[in-house]
Amino acid sequence: MVPLVALAAAFSVGALLIRSQGVNPAYAYESLFSYALLDGSGLTATLQKVVPLVLCGLAVAIPLRLGLFNIGGQGQFMVGAIGAAAAAYALRSAPGIVTIIVTMVVGVLAGSMWASIAGLLKAARGVHEVISTIMLNSVAGGLIDWMLNGPLADEQVPYPASHAVPGSAQLPPIGVVPIGLPVAVTLAVATAWLLRRTTIGFRFETVGRNRYAASYAGISIRTTTVVAMGIAGGCAGLSGGIELVGVEPYRYQDGIAASLGFDGITIALLARGNPIGTIPAALLVAAMRAGAPHLALDTGLRPEIVDMVLAITLLFVSLPLVVKLIFRKHAAKGSQLASSWGA
Amino acid sequence: MRSKFVLSAPVFVLALGLAGCGGSTGGAGSGATPTDCSSSETFCVGLVTDGSKIDDKSFNQAAWAGVQKAKDSLGAYVRYIEPAEAKDYAASIKQFTDQKYDVVITVGFLTADPTVAAAAQNPGTKFIGVDQLLDTEKVKSPNLTGLTFPADQAGYAVGYLAGLLTKTGKVGAINGLEIPPVQKYFKGYEAGAKASNPKVEVVGVYHPAGGQPFNDPVWGAGEAKKQLSQGVDVIFGIGSNTGNGALNEVAKSSGAGTTRFCIGVDVDQWGTLPEARPCLVTSAEKLISDGVAELLGQAGDGTLKGGNFLGKTGISQFHDFDDKIPADVKAKVEDVVKKLADGSLQTNVVL
Repeated sequence: MVPLVALAAAFSVGALLIRSQGVNPAYAYESLFSYALLDGSGLTATLQKVVPLVLCGLAVAIPLRLGLFNIGGQGQFMVGAIGAAAAAYALRSAPGIVTIIVTMVVGVLAGSMWASIAGLLKAARGVHEVISTIMLNSVAGGLIDWMLNGPLADEQVPYPASHAVPGSAQLPPIGVVPIGLPVAVTLAVATAWLLRRTTIGFRFETVGRNRYAASYAGISIRTTTVVAMGIAGGCAGLSGGIELVGVEPYRYQDGIAASLGFDGITIALLARGNPIGTIPAALLVAAMRAGAPHLALDTGLRPEIVDMVLAITLLFVSLPLVVKLIFRKHAAKGSQLASSWGA
Repeated sequence: MRSKFVLSAPVFVLALGLAGCGGSTGGAGSGATPTDCSSSETFCVGLVTDGSKIDDKSFNQAAWAGVQKAKDSLGAYVRYIEPAEAKDYAASIKQFTDQKYDVVITVGFLTADPTVAAAAQNPGTKFIGVDQLLDTEKVKSPNLTGLTFPADQAGYAVGYLAGLLTKTGKVGAINGLEIPPVQKYFKGYEAGAKASNPKVEVVGVYHPAGGQPFNDPVWGAGEAKKQLSQGVDVIFGIGSNTGNGALNEVAKSSGAGTTRFCIGVDVDQWGTLPEARPCLVTSAEKLISDGVAELLGQAGDGTLKGGNFLGKTGISQFHDFDDKIPADVKAKVEDVVKKLADGSLQTNVVL
């Protein structure tokens, strides 16, 4: 309910902003969404954005169960993508299907490993995951810059870029549906199942609600922390791998990661930490991002208007938490989302 | 539950308020009037940036300025798109080709591959790739023109100025990676400095491979400091942010603008790097907007040819240094720039 109300409010504020620019808001929204959802290439662009957004959203939503705030989706995505690029280059003469599978596995493992560093630091030394994941983003950036200028550089390209994935392993969209879409949707559903119906999910939930009680009940906080971060990083890393084999230019270069990892935070908060909720949340953000250039072309509005509406949405989504924090001093026991901001 | 109610109340008020004024929105403009680019009467030009903004004070802005320059004489309808991510390049180009734009301009080498692909798919549309050197062995689309610039000439012109400005007889350059575009600038600089001042000593250093050769301002600053301490008094920064680091170092040093000078690259860095203004006499500039305007003019009268097109380079305005540089120096430099442009003076730079 809250996300829907927040959405309505944000779009209303957005409408005021659009009108102040001398454009009819109804026309602007229609232009935005009709391109993003009804036009062939617009829909492909939207769906191609949905995939990494869902997966990066999961990378934030899973640790959120434990009250961990993973800001490192960006780095985990990048490491997954560069790992996949390295694997694809190493297997350039292997059959396509082998390359694809190995590439995906390497992407998952690379992202998982990257996030586990933050998990281990948290478990072993109590290093706050917000600090460590955000710093690891920068480390990933530096590492990748070195790789793109050194061991993985494609000398044929006049700028830092990895070798392109061999043609046999490239997976362009089938019709308008990118290959990663079923994977992302399945993983979102699987995550919901994992969190609700398995002992791992129960452990996450228990640690998130009260880690002292969880520890008293014999659940290892340390293991659970590392496992949750590992799974989260795996999602982001897989997303990087899919991006590499499924989306032009099929190589790692500047602009590949954009801000996808950070957008995952938006998605997870819009979905209020619910894995299934990441799908509609991602669809909304993706459609708005994909439609923004068209909107700008059609109406002359600056494309940033879309980011403003998204930011306002996020602001309204988190308002109840802020209100709770202000009005109830002991809010922590209520919502696991709230606890992640403070502790 | 209580907090949820607190949130909803103002939202509903807002929504109601908006619904109330909904009736009056009709007249307030329903967006831009769609122009029919498929008709032969309207000449439509679309520009796709390389992900940076249109007002980036660099290549994108310069290319757009070129479009604006050509707009009136062509009577053209012009629009631009700023793709947010690398994967949006192709879709952005397609927006223009779908609407049957006559010319699509893409900016920067990052957009080169999607441009080549789009040109092959849309033989009826003219494509101009700014700063995209085409591999004419592979790319044969007659509707695609790659606009590049003779960096050696720009280097020569600023080198010529540097040779006249130096008091110590030593001029320097801080270079990004040792790749052809950078080498061209530097070798031109060397040749120009020697031409105006045969006794001058030119020192240059390339960023070692690895790391971020074009985004290493700390290294650039360090090397600039070294050169300054060796008595170099004019420094040319070639290589994006690495060069910027060098320029900033010169700007901060004592004697900046009186005994020590720096020279920018690619675009007029007076605008892009205000921190360097204390020492920035000029920049070796790729005349992007002129090149774009010229090619658009050719597209307008149907004489635009495919393949590589060599634009022009020049040196930027002297800005605050205009009255500090002696008139005879300015005259000599101007003469060199003119001769380079009309081909009567060759830089003789070979890589």
